[in-house]
Amino acid sequence: MRISSFASASALALILSSGAFAQEASLDLVEPIADYKIYVSENVAKLVEDTTAFVAAVKAGEVDKAKELFAPTRISYEAIEPIAELFSDLDVAIDSRADDYEKAEADPEFPGFHRIEYGLWEKNSTEGLEPVADKLLADVKELEGRIASLTFPPEKVVGGAAVLMEEVAATKISGEEDRYSHTDLWDFRGNFDGARKIVELVRPLIADKEADFLKTVDANFDTVDTTLAKYKDGDGYVTYDKLTEDDRKVLAAAVNTLAEDLSTLRGKLGLD
Amino acid sequence: MLDPKDLRRSSPSLDRRRLLKGLGVTAFGGSFAGVARAETEHHSVADAPVANAASPLDSVPYLGIHQAGIVNARPANGMVASFDVLAKDAGELETLFRLLTARIAFLTVGGPVPVLDPKLPPADSGLLGPTVRPDNLTITISLGASLFDDRPWLAPLKPKHLQRMTRFPNDALDADICHGDLTIQICANTQDTTIHALRDIIKASSSQMILKWKQEGNVPVITPGSDGRAESARNFLGFRDGSANPNSSDGAEMDRVVWVGPEDGEPAWAVGGSYQAVRIIRNFVERWDRTPFGEQERIIGRTKISGAPLDRRDGSEFDVPDYAGDPEGKATPHDAHIRLANARDAAASTNTILRRPFNYSNGVTRSGQLDQGLLFICYQADLERGFLTVQQKLNGEPLEEYIKPVGGGYFYTLPGIRDAADYVGSPLIAAVRGA
Repeated sequence: MRISSFASASALALILSSGAFAQEASLDLVEPIADYKIYVSENVAKLVEDTTAFVAAVKAGEVDKAKELFAPTRISYEAIEPIAELFSDLDVAIDSRADDYEKAEADPEFPGFHRIEYGLWEKNSTEGLEPVADKLLADVKELEGRIASLTFPPEKVVGGAAVLMEEVAATKISGEEDRYSHTDLWDFRGNFDGARKIVELVRPLIADKEADFLKTVDANFDTVDTTLAKYKDGDGYVTYDKLTEDDRKVLAAAVNTLAEDLSTLRGKLGLD
Repeated sequence: MLDPKDLRRSSPSLDRRRLLKGLGVTAFGGSFAGVARAETEHHSVADAPVANAASPLDSVPYLGIHQAGIVNARPANGMVASFDVLAKDAGELETLFRLLTARIAFLTVGGPVPVLDPKLPPADSGLLGPTVRPDNLTITISLGASLFDDRPWLAPLKPKHLQRMTRFPNDALDADICHGDLTIQICANTQDTTIHALRDIIKASSSQMILKWKQEGNVPVITPGSDGRAESARNFLGFRDGSANPNSSDGAEMDRVVWVGPEDGEPAWAVGGSYQAVRIIRNFVERWDRTPFGEQERIIGRTKISGAPLDRRDGSEFDVPDYAGDPEGKATPHDAHIRLANARDAAASTNTILRRPFNYSNGVTRSGQLDQGLLFICYQADLERGFLTVQQKLNGEPLEEYIKPVGGGYFYTLPGIRDAADYVGSPLIAAVRGA
């Protein structure tokens, strides 16, 4: 008896103390998270708008126009990936890759942006893509609806900055994401913008205490900006194969370091 | 005759073969325990690690005029990891070298890992628990030609034989596992320790270098014979490998074979370093296992069971083959691997290299065969006279049907970290600044 009451008492104490802590952190984060929700909502609205045009081009058999719209359409999805990924069924439907399927490109299950990308670039055709395009638009709209009713978990929002960098570090820096169109630099832009937005929103909360940390993070974001700027082409970017080996290394190191540094952002804000 | 008590304090200049011969005689005198102990303290690089003798408390000093991990015996696990380096100037390169030195100092000596606020990612991967123990860990830093070639401020200081590995006729080099600006050779008793060290270094150096490739391997541990003596480890072809290695506890011999000295015409900063050749050599083991036993022995040039030369099958792996007495190649064919590699004459003795290889086993190829082979690592004072010359002699050897070099590169192993205030590569940084 004694032992069990002692155990439950300490469990209660633990819940109380961590609850109090989380609440304190959450109070500070109310404003940044509200602002982030606006950012995500704006991006997902843009995603629906752009996907509507992209899907229309695919269904009309306008290969060149569809190719032109592919990368700019994706950029708003890439910027909000930490939130979009909270709905794993939709993330798979919208953004999975051929390697996620046993028969790769030939797999009838292979859906979404990359299935269409494969048709457009590898087959130079929209043949058979109509149902895939319809499904994509439906999924993107579904995402918008679900985000509208989502309570944003603070640790997911703050942790999202690191998640974006982890994604680039693990499966994008190799150029495997947009392997048919080689429009990876557009995706990078979206990922970096999304991560930097999160840092900007919480900056006031840590500006005094973590000045050195922010200085390093800013310097790495600036390195990324400077490097990507070299590959700007009109409103977008040249293809990934134009990236020099030296610049790929610079980007890889900046991404790895941002992933390391931003992995501490949750803890710095007292989030568990 | 050698007294076991003296063996325990075996001098580094003691000749290994004389020692072994002495042990054979001593063994009959009955001092097994002392002899066995002497042998474990007197490992040669090629010796297999002794079974059940490794302890997590084993340690190799990281300070010295040469880096650790070259003349000391191989522990059971080894790895080469190759990196691209970001450094744009001497200051950044110094920062990287100092960081590597700090990690080497912690990881090879051991100690408690820092404990952080649980809301933060942990400082350490935790693979070795709350206290890191040295586990015989050595971490050896070497530089590739590309580090120099791509940096005008560093290029004039490139060691004179350092070059990018080029294809030999039997090679099928895969660009994804070749070259690099900087390699880290990591060796330890257990694989957990090598992987822990690699992950520690990657985490600490993320802004300064990027992992390019890595290959792990191991050395089979062997239970010593009744005379307590260690044998050379076997490779994945089933043959003993390294029997003809120079005696790595002979300081003068290592000065001649391995270490770059002031007379070698290298940049002054390079004295105390060595050339490292790494080759990832796939073995076609299924095919090898379907090759007649006698043919296997003729291809290698040794008996498979004991490693004895073919002209004295009842001898041991340490007996020297008598090629002068076999001019027609009747016992040991002229194109046998060991005869081509080392003709055992005066000329060949100038091409001696110190081999420090590990066996690797990676998985299955697309053809459904085992992807196994040798992570060949060797050290020499002169890359041209050493590895390059030996490999040229081996070009076209019958063994080529069963092996395929697919990766690796040539690197310059930096001089040692002299004392706790020094850092690896400091003479190179001083040379850049002085130039």
